[in-house]
Amino acid sequence: MSKPRSRLIGSPEPRRKNRGLLRGEGAYVADVRLDGQLHARVVRSPAARGRLLGVDTSEALETPGVVAALTAADIDDIDDFRIPIRLPFAESPEANRVLQAPLAADVVRYVGEPVAVVVADDPYVAEDAAERVVVDIDELEPVLDPATASESARPLVHEHFGSNTVNRLAYRYGDVDAAFARADVVVRRRLRVHRLAAAPMETRGLVADFDPASGVLTVWGGAKVKHFTRGLLSNVLGLEPADVRVIEVEVGGGFGTRGEPYPEDVLVALLARRLERPVAWIEDRWEHMVATNHAREQEHDFELAADASGRLVGFRVRGWCDQGAYVRTQGLLPAVLPMVHFPGPYRWQAFSMDLDAVLTNRTPVGTYRGPGMTEATFVRERMVDIAAAELGMDPADLRRRNLIPAESMPFAFAPGPGSGAVMPIMYEGGDFVGTFDELLATAGYDRLRVEQQQARAGGRHAGVGIAAYIEFSGAGPFEDVDVIGGPAGVIVRAGVASLGQGVETALAQIAAELLDVALADVTVEFHDTDEIPQGFGAFASRSTALAGNAIAAAVDEMRARAAPLLGCGPDEVEFRGGAATAPGARSVGLDEIGPARGRFETDALTASFGGAVCSVSVDPGDGRARADRFVLAHDVGRAVNPRLLRGQLAGAAAQGIGGALFEEVAYDDNGQPQSVTLADYMMPTAAELPEVEVAIIEQGSGSNPLGIKGGGEAGMVASLGAVANGVADAMGEGAEVLSSSVSPARVWRALSRRAAPAGAPRATEEA
Amino acid sequence: MKPAPFAYAAAGTLDEAVELLGEAGEDAKLLAGGQSLLPLLAFRLARPSHIIDIGAVEDLDSIDEHDDGHLSVGALVRHATLERADLLGPWKALAEAASLIGHLPIRVRGTFGGSLAHADPAGELGVVAAALDAEVVLKSVRGLRTVPVGGFFLAPLTTAADADEVVVEARFPAPGRGFRSVFEEFSPRAGDFAYASVAAGCRMAGDGSAHDVRLALGSVGPTPLRAREAEEALSGSMLDDTAVAEGARLAAAACGPSAGDWHAGGDYRRALVAHLVERALRRLREPA
Repeated sequence: MSKPRSRLIGSPEPRRKNRGLLRGEGAYVADVRLDGQLHARVVRSPAARGRLLGVDTSEALETPGVVAALTAADIDDIDDFRIPIRLPFAESPEANRVLQAPLAADVVRYVGEPVAVVVADDPYVAEDAAERVVVDIDELEPVLDPATASESARPLVHEHFGSNTVNRLAYRYGDVDAAFARADVVVRRRLRVHRLAAAPMETRGLVADFDPASGVLTVWGGAKVKHFTRGLLSNVLGLEPADVRVIEVEVGGGFGTRGEPYPEDVLVALLARRLERPVAWIEDRWEHMVATNHAREQEHDFELAADASGRLVGFRVRGWCDQGAYVRTQGLLPAVLPMVHFPGPYRWQAFSMDLDAVLTNRTPVGTYRGPGMTEATFVRERMVDIAAAELGMDPADLRRRNLIPAESMPFAFAPGPGSGAVMPIMYEGGDFVGTFDELLATAGYDRLRVEQQQARAGGRHAGVGIAAYIEFSGAGPFEDVDVIGGPAGVIVRAGVASLGQGVETALAQIAAELLDVALADVTVEFHDTDEIPQGFGAFASRSTALAGNAIAAAVDEMRARAAPLLGCGPDEVEFRGGAATAPGARSVGLDEIGPARGRFETDALTASFGGAVCSVSVDPGDGRARADRFVLAHDVGRAVNPRLLRGQLAGAAAQGIGGALFEEVAYDDNGQPQSVTLADYMMPTAAELPEVEVAIIEQGSGSNPLGIKGGGEAGMVASLGAVANGVADAMGEGAEVLSSSVSPARVWRALSRRAAPAGAPRATEEA
Repeated sequence: MKPAPFAYAAAGTLDEAVELLGEAGEDAKLLAGGQSLLPLLAFRLARPSHIIDIGAVEDLDSIDEHDDGHLSVGALVRHATLERADLLGPWKALAEAASLIGHLPIRVRGTFGGSLAHADPAGELGVVAAALDAEVVLKSVRGLRTVPVGGFFLAPLTTAADADEVVVEARFPAPGRGFRSVFEEFSPRAGDFAYASVAAGCRMAGDGSAHDVRLALGSVGPTPLRAREAEEALSGSMLDDTAVAEGARLAAAACGPSAGDWHAGGDYRRALVAHLVERALRRLREPA
């Protein structure tokens, strides 16, 4: 490949869409208006578990303006409409037996489960009529605690399945019993990761229109995985994939939840086809908090073994990962992803992991930015801090001396006997120690410790928390990209999706640099499945890596085609100003070369190392913990656009800090959700957040030609662990942090249990 | 999240509002700033038959300190106005409390009368009204009447106002010379409903002793609560650390037994009350 002369890859270009979005010119799915458009309202189960005795829509149908009402009884073979798992490696025969149908038929399994849908010519009328649907439920005791869900006395979430454990995943490496036998120090804790919701500012929504003349179904509001949605809808509606068109309009945040196909996707498409009129469904916030995937809830019994010299030798973990009431499109990822991230960046001699994917009567769980890795990192890093205290070592020092050294790369924890069919854990490269040192230097770690001592001497509760992590990203199988050059510029058509992360800007930079054209001359198109090649979508921080390398492959294809036209070897072809040139000043234009398709295919993941340092202060009077500083270092391989990357890293960290300090999806003892508004689901505002300082590390990657690793989720991964460790450090001895939630109530309780001065009120109940 | 159907009428004057409300019957609701009512409508937790919009009614938006020393605050005074009004000394708690309500866009719209009429036990202004022994002036076609704040708040979201009565203003009686008030609360994020709040006031005598001590608590009972035992114990004291600690302990004990929810349990809220009372009393003992 010839050397590009422009320097667009690595340039902090502004995000392409800023201007329009900031001026209010963005059009979101709720802005789609079609002639004759109808509005759907979903009727949802008010009970966490029960037998569905009847759903009576007659009164709703009598409401003026109502066009249709649908229950499970109105859909033949509703089990054929169950929404499949999207990712083969997250599937199992067992998981496929507990998938969700678009409407509950005989049993309801969580509050919010769709039981009927009403369609009217006005959204207000639809909501009025939905209230008139009479849902008769014989309520039963729900299953709510993942760790005890599989005890024999518990009722079954899915009776036909016969168990509340979908699968147990096992991973063995080395001789863990021998490692524990050699250990000088063993620490063991039961740690909980609390339930969180991604809660994008734009809720979900869809508008579907079926044209009986052409037989084409068009769906607006697709996001993240448009091609999978197209395939799924064509399947359930009995249409050819080519007759389903999924269009992405502006997306106000995704974070893993938006764009996965849900029951409503099937319902809206089905209604549009049956009624032969456009049907819109816009999720409201209450619905969003009960209907859209939740995330993170798990419990892990973790045992860590170390020797007296501060060597981490092994760990055992027995865990319960909540799937909620059904397995959805992301399959067993809520258990698979913590498992592959538990070992992290340390050179363990042995470990064993047994994780159950568990069913409970609550909203199904999917992935949320940094899925599995955030949970596993919290648990492991909390345990490393507990071990450091036991060993009397500085937590940074303990981590540093156990990081896998650069000379051991590439490195693999090959699954040993007793492992299930698991994804092997391997890291392609990286200088972990170098990155960790950069993190400590950026944070001024030694100075932070001195300041902490000064604060403590002044009677303040100050702490410093560290967490280090491995993030797997860049999942395959492939992305295709078409690059089309012409007099008007270069068009890049990719099957990726924008969730607001700026992928169109990054891809334009790559194409502009490789073809040596002005950035403004590159257009990136990805909105309409009719116009773009097959794509797998925006997840696993893969878009820039996969589609970026596919652009490079397309440019190589152009080079190969230009060579004979120029009468030179492909290696001699150089792109200059949008033309292929050869030595001796001959050149051919891109339009002469013609459109080229590039594919980047991979079965490997990229592994990034990174970490965070969070300084925390705690007010013992009211229990409030504050993240005073948050410093992050992340190896992104190669930063295509450092400005956007910083935004992604800082935004993800902010989301994580809020998750640690305030947010929680709570249920009462009857399985009723308690946090269904943004007054109760407390996302952080600017007033609660520190400036997030970011050190971008670029160590390349052997996994792809451009050397790119993921960056869209990384800021989240260390957040729960770093904040929790900082809070634990601030509280000092005797007050433990065993939950990823360090809300004011929990911090107050932990402090209050330790030592209340005489006469002060003490904790007696759960806050 | 779309309101159930209702009839809407806008009143131009207080008399018109009172008339419309009288005609609309039992299930009518007044709309002023809408900062509490609109979410209730959206969740269909409130389903009024009629909404009578008093947002444009004139002459209900003044804050007046009268010659006899009493203060009146009109029902349509916006929180942002109260926050920025030059309220010092005895009335300082009002401005401090107003500044802690929600976020600025909420304070720009939300009204003083609406906050009282909504009777959320977490409402800051009700707590101040309780501490300062305010009287609420109500008007209906039947005439005007005045209800002392202690009898105005009956239960969460329930007041002594009849279905046909409009909150016109609150009157705060003239305080003793040198009386000062402060407001403290704890909310997890800026602008959240407080887990606990305290309005405190007292008159400091020349010898540094505190008199006429008032302590009202928010978010820890069905209505704003007065911590009478704590007030009595503190009156006449020098607000020294021992007295303050004892006052805090007694105030915490005054919290309702059912105070608390999943965000913050009762024991935590009681501890917050003690913490906030200490903070408030320390501020009161500092020279003005």
